[in-house]
Amino acid sequence: MMAKIRHLFLLLFVLATVLPTAAIPPKPSPQRLVNDFAGLFTAGQVDELERKLVAFDDSTSNQITVVTVNDLEGRAAAEYADRIGIEWGVGSKAYNNGIVVLVKPKTSDSGGQATIQVGYGLEGAIPDIYASRIIRNDMIPHFQENDYYGGVVQACENLMALASGEISEPRSRDDDDDPFESLLAMLVILFLILLIIKIIRHSGGNGGGGSGTGGRDRHIWVGPIGGSSWGGSSRGSSWGGGFGGGFGGGFGGFGGGSFGGGGASGSW
Amino acid sequence: MKKGIVTIVVLAVIALGLFSWGKNAYNSLVKGEEGVEAAWAQVENVYQRRADLIPNLVATVKGYAEHESSTLQAVIEARAKATQTKIDPANLSAEEIAKFQAAQGELSQALGRLLVTVEQYPDLKANQNFLELQAQLEGTENRITVERQKFNETAQAYNTQVRTFPQNIIASLFDFEKKGYFKAAEGAETAPKVEF
Repeated sequence: MMAKIRHLFLLLFVLATVLPTAAIPPKPSPQRLVNDFAGLFTAGQVDELERKLVAFDDSTSNQITVVTVNDLEGRAAAEYADRIGIEWGVGSKAYNNGIVVLVKPKTSDSGGQATIQVGYGLEGAIPDIYASRIIRNDMIPHFQENDYYGGVVQACENLMALASGEISEPRSRDDDDDPFESLLAMLVILFLILLIIKIIRHSGGNGGGGSGTGGRDRHIWVGPIGGSSWGGSSRGSSWGGGFGGGFGGGFGGFGGGSFGGGGASGSW
Repeated sequence: MKKGIVTIVVLAVIALGLFSWGKNAYNSLVKGEEGVEAAWAQVENVYQRRADLIPNLVATVKGYAEHESSTLQAVIEARAKATQTKIDPANLSAEEIAKFQAAQGELSQALGRLLVTVEQYPDLKANQNFLELQAQLEGTENRITVERQKFNETAQAYNTQVRTFPQNIIASLFDFEKKGYFKAAEGAETAPKVEF
């Protein structure tokens, strides 16, 4: 019996030391800016806020992600939010301009906690004091009345106003590493290769080789085909990029920004 | 004659392979070490940020809580000691980091005691300047946590490089040494909690 209890304690101890590093929710797929894990918002509210934040990301490249959780897994709210920011890569890699707004609602047996964590690049635009004021003046008064959406929206609006003053780079989607995009590019290339082969077949042995080797023998045609397919490939990928950018207008994905612990927290 | 040429070519290929492997291993170790030093610079930055906040904090508290001069004095002394404990970034051994952490830990404790005594002064707690200092201090403590964690992660990646075979041969040949870590909080080291 004693040994069993000891084992249980040992297990708990091991879990307690191991779990915290693994407890951050994984990056959402598909990627979203509003991640209401605690279920505080209605579906309509989630959509509305998501649209607002995506539009802000598109026009200024600053990424604000709103995350709600029911349990902080024994971590401080700020630390939890920082891990989300770092592991999901909120903000762009070049500017580190991400913001994580984390809300842990008040429940019957635990207090409410909220934190705003600011990426390295926005620490100048949103000093800790400003973040602290937003929490105290915009969020907590609403949260105390169970109006989680109102508080979060007001906070986001103030954060947007502050952040856009610092970094305002309309997003170019060209450098986004979208797997769908590269698949599309590959299909386009394949299509072009098939097209070229077909054209060559049709024109028989007479068509001139683009790469200058000229037509000597049927077997050597493989060379010129390879050469022209390269030309097609660069065109193909640029087309793919255009398609990828135009799709749906949804969130383009987190950019790999980093966080240094700037921001503020509050509880109620 | 022909056999000799073959042997020379084979040896040359082997030598070239060895050289390029050694070069890559060495360069990646240098890169790793640079990364650790950069992470350390960030750690020093955030601790310095905290040290810079303290004079302002002490001045603000002094205006309201004259009776706490011994607590304030302890903070000032711990700050002086902590800012004197500097490490050469080229020597980030476990002992040096432990020394640094101990000095900063004392400052954390002194600050923690100060913030507890402050609870007895409602006027001070309502003071706008103090509220903002508290927010800054809280953000700084959080930055310290983050940068320490990042340093540990960078150092761990580098230490793995230094110790795994066959890179450890290059590492020991050119004196790349294992770096120390920040130890997890042992109660005393936990950052003072600032409640609003």
